[in-house]
Amino acid sequence: MDVLRRNNVTVSGAGQRAIVFVHGFGCDQRMWRMVTPAFEASYQTVLLDLVGAGHSDLAAYNPARYSTLAAHAEDVLAVLAALKLTRVVLVGHSVSAMIGVLAAIREPDRFSHLVLVAPSPRFVNDVGYTGGFEQADIDELLEAMDNNYLGWSGAITPVIMGHPEQPELTAELNASFCRTDPTIARHFARVTFLADNRAELPQLRTPALILQGSQDALAPLAVGAYLQQHLPNSQLVVLNTSGHCPHLSAPQATVAAIHHYLGPAPAPSQ
Amino acid sequence: MSTAAAADEPLPELDLRLTQENLEDLYEHAPCGYCSCLPDGTLVKLNQTLLGWLGYTAPELVARQCLQQLFTVGGRLHYEMYCAPLLLLQNQVRELSYLLRRKDGTTLPVLMSAVLLRDTNGQPLVVRVTLFDITERRKYEQELLRARQHADEQREQLARANEELTRKNEQLSRINADLDSFVYTASHDLKQPIDNMTGLFQELRRTVRFPDAEAVPMLDMFAEALQQILSTIQGLTEVVQLQRQLEQVPTETIELRSFTEEIVRSLQQRLSEPAATFALDFQAAPTVRMTRSSLHSMLYNLLSNSLRYAQPGRPPHVRVSSAHVGNALVLSVQDNGRGIDLVRYEQELFQLFRRFHPEVAGSGMGLYLVNRLVNQAGGRIEVESTVGKGTTFRVFLTTGIPAAATSSGPSNLSA
Repeated sequence: MDVLRRNNVTVSGAGQRAIVFVHGFGCDQRMWRMVTPAFEASYQTVLLDLVGAGHSDLAAYNPARYSTLAAHAEDVLAVLAALKLTRVVLVGHSVSAMIGVLAAIREPDRFSHLVLVAPSPRFVNDVGYTGGFEQADIDELLEAMDNNYLGWSGAITPVIMGHPEQPELTAELNASFCRTDPTIARHFARVTFLADNRAELPQLRTPALILQGSQDALAPLAVGAYLQQHLPNSQLVVLNTSGHCPHLSAPQATVAAIHHYLGPAPAPSQ
Repeated sequence: MSTAAAADEPLPELDLRLTQENLEDLYEHAPCGYCSCLPDGTLVKLNQTLLGWLGYTAPELVARQCLQQLFTVGGRLHYEMYCAPLLLLQNQVRELSYLLRRKDGTTLPVLMSAVLLRDTNGQPLVVRVTLFDITERRKYEQELLRARQHADEQREQLARANEELTRKNEQLSRINADLDSFVYTASHDLKQPIDNMTGLFQELRRTVRFPDAEAVPMLDMFAEALQQILSTIQGLTEVVQLQRQLEQVPTETIELRSFTEEIVRSLQQRLSEPAATFALDFQAAPTVRMTRSSLHSMLYNLLSNSLRYAQPGRPPHVRVSSAHVGNALVLSVQDNGRGIDLVRYEQELFQLFRRFHPEVAGSGMGLYLVNRLVNQAGGRIEVESTVGKGTTFRVFLTTGIPAAATSSGPSNLSA
């Protein structure tokens, strides 16, 4: 299996160190486009689509395998292995921040730093933990997704069911920016929003920067504080921006925070 | 304005009214909700239509609430995760379906489109939002969603049932193959000692003298029993071998008349029944498509049964014919023999070792074999029988190719 094709991996930039960007739920690697140019001069930049999103191989989305975030973490590790990369910087947004944490626990040598953009180890409130949401809220989200996929799923489903002989459907899927198959989106939403990775946090040895928006409905400030407490070698930086995507709403501030955290990059190889 | 005059006069008047449309009033009371927000969603302006739907006054919302806070929680999550990033990426979103939460707690389904305007530096400036009330449409959509969920569930059930069937089928095939190899092994392993017994017994008969007068008929009975065991084993071997052959041998088009005549001739050679007569009529369907060995075994067993189970005191007469019925070719073998009590035996007619005329020697394998061969060829058998009058077997072969009638007319053979 060609994992680079499966995860629609794109590599650019010039640098000795690699920086890998992993998108969050609801979009694909194109959501990094305001951020990545700032790293291409001094880093090799690696972008990928999680299986089930963007231009990844949708046929590879086996719901049983992808029923936990660990499978996506394995995919990220497989991509790094295929590219023969070690000691990379991984920038993960939202759910992929946790995917990055899981991957770095599993193969610490692959990572030098993690940048966790708007991360949350658990969205649903628990005893002694504020995630920001109740189970009923997540159910409502799934319903809202159903309502938004209504008129569309019938036409697009054949692509997902593995009929690549109908290129016009694939084209339609690709043209619809940040849209993916409703069945996959629904499943991935469930996996994302019902995940609980709090127990894994103390196992992380890789230094991590937590980048949080000051008004993020999905990852409230309490979640950022919780992460900083439980990730052994972490820093928390709160960006003065609203929403769950600081890399879109405050790209310059996001870039500056990452650069500041990583320090000067080694000179590109001669 | 009168409809009669409408053709020429009223147009200028209409135009005038349109140009005098009060834009402020149009904005405030348009048949859709308008609002403008800061890039983070903070509401800065809402029209009266939207405020009316929500039950809020402008001061309660402007600069105090965000657009996404007007949605239910699910919608708010969707907005943050999907709509807000998309707006920043492509400056517009279209036809997103959300539920507005009114001041009184009730909800209103809306369809939202929005554009993001940027300042001269390209920085996000304001989001303009249009909302349409889709209360009625939402009801249909809910119906559709329910129907789709129902269909999905049914499909899953069907897939599960299918899997189960496939599994059962594989299991049965395995059991069948096991049975075949068991029968083959058993018949093979039994044959050797029985052959030994036969040889030993013949040798004993030749060398030993029995003083008891009743010994001779007992010896005959013993010999007969041995013979019966041997023929049963022979039959079992045949069943299994035929089955194995069938899996490899191709089908061919066979001329029924000459083929059947050949079988009749070979039966006549070993016939004990006097004056058996055969009537062959294949005019309606002269050929059949089947494997040669299957057809032979099938016809041979049916014909020899007709002779074997003849009604005592009545010379056997067997009629063999073919016809096209619908898509099937029907081969019929009709006799005037003892008949079978179908009311009693119909269920077990084609079972292995089942016998209905114990007074006549037989292995109980003929009809089992015939049925299996016919099933293998994708056909089925019907039986009609009257005790004391005779039996008719009709073999329906769906694979039979309809052929044009040839010169092979009815023929009568007598033995």
